[in-house]
Amino acid sequence: MSTPVDRRFVADAAAHRRDVPRFCPGCAGGLGMATEFWEAEERRFYCSCTGCGWTGEITPTGAVATGHEPEH
Amino acid sequence: MLTAEQNEQLTQVEAGTPMGEVLRRYWYPVAFTRELEEFPVKRVELLGDFFALWKSPSGRYGIVPEACPHRKASLAYGVVEPDGIRCPYHGWVFDTDGACTSQPAERDNTQFQERVRAQAGKVEEMGGLVWAYVGPSPAPELPRFDTYVMDGYRDIGWADLPCNYVQIMENAVDPHHVEFLHGRYFEFVGKHEGFTAPASFGKEHMKIGFTAFEWGIIKRRVLKGATEENDDWKVGHPLVFPYNMRVGGGGIHQMQIRVPVNRTTTRFILYTVHSPDGYEHVEQPQIPDYELPVFDKAGRHVTNYVEGQDMMAWVTQGAITDRTTEHLGRSDIGVAMLRKMFREQMDVVARGEDPLGTIREKHERIDLPCEKDKFHAGGAQFALDFCDMGSTRFSPVLDTIKKIHISAADKIASEKAAAE
Ligand code: FES
Ligand SMILES: [Fe+2]
Repeated sequence: MSTPVDRRFVADAAAHRRDVPRFCPGCAGGLGMATEFWEAEERRFYCSCTGCGWTGEITPTGAVATGHEPEH
Repeated sequence: MLTAEQNEQLTQVEAGTPMGEVLRRYWYPVAFTRELEEFPVKRVELLGDFFALWKSPSGRYGIVPEACPHRKASLAYGVVEPDGIRCPYHGWVFDTDGACTSQPAERDNTQFQERVRAQAGKVEEMGGLVWAYVGPSPAPELPRFDTYVMDGYRDIGWADLPCNYVQIMENAVDPHHVEFLHGRYFEFVGKHEGFTAPASFGKEHMKIGFTAFEWGIIKRRVLKGATEENDDWKVGHPLVFPYNMRVGGGGIHQMQIRVPVNRTTTRFILYTVHSPDGYEHVEQPQIPDYELPVFDKAGRHVTNYVEGQDMMAWVTQGAITDRTTEHLGRSDIGVAMLRKMFREQMDVVARGEDPLGTIREKHERIDLPCEKDKFHAGGAQFALDFCDMGSTRFSPVLDTIKKIHISAADKIASEKAAAE
């Protein structure tokens, strides 16, 4: 038996899968699991590597690098 | 959000799947002690497989796969005999080690007993439950968690739910739901049905935290009006990997058990021990078990009690909730942590090691961390809310339980007064 796909949300599922991190930033092995969640404007992935144990969050930022104004 | 493959892997329970192999490293309650006292053999479904569980007249338990190795008739309809279970069809006998000890239809010179064997598991009784281990040998010890062995007055509520156990476990690392499902929603139901929902459940969460530890994940919360010094944060309570949660407060100790019966059926068991300060031992020759209402006659979920609300949420998520289309937030971080733990344990088992929470040393009792002053509601108040607003209201021994809490509180009060 395979997990039934929830037909009410199929288009959404494809959008989510688009850019899921697949490799560990630490050892470049395959990521065991990347759980997507949102934090305000940011779409984040809680990732853990089953190879080297690296655990952290990856946030796609898009092309714009945002900085902030230094004190002057 | 997970990929379809990850969701598939996470929710499997069958033998030969990574998660199914992890799950086969643990002991599960498969019957009430009472059941086998009433009738000595039971058909059991566990992790998608069927078994025959029996108790011999001398009190020995055995478990073997249901299908007789001869021609597959059900051993769950077998004859319980002093030395094993006899197949109802042609009378082969299997002992508690799975050895075939009799093939009565064969002549002495045509018997081939040594060539057939049933894959026997291990069985033990503890706390009014019969526990089975059906994984690879050597079996680990049955963990003697505090709830099952402590002194106190017990009852066992249960329901079979049409959904996968993982989504139920995800609820165990989801502190925020309490404030809505058992707070706001409870209040709404109460308003329409004419009762007042317990106020302590609706308290706002200021902060939540999760810590991995040797038995699973400790869940912590700071509710509005409390600090990190309150039990809810300082002590918290644990998800006991991979299928339990230990809760309590106000002299109540509870293990919430979620047995993966098969991929889309979970037996939810509330194993409760009442032992408030001042408790005086009450004899219990048999621990009562009772079925909890999940649906009403019209097929709607019964949601006017705490666990009924939980069951509604778990079941309506779908038989196997589709995690490819969910939308998690920061408050769901405990869920992400639990999934990571499941995934890690698949690798641990694939490497041939013991997964989290395996115990191989003989032991008397394992104490789990659990808050006493739950929701900083005051112990006695929490106990009474618990009895009236939770599944205990369906208990055949509800009156006795309430008396136990009230007389214990009286005893403590009069002791205090005497000391002053
Ligand atoms: S708000 Fe959580 S399931 Fe709807
Ligand atoms: Fe709940």
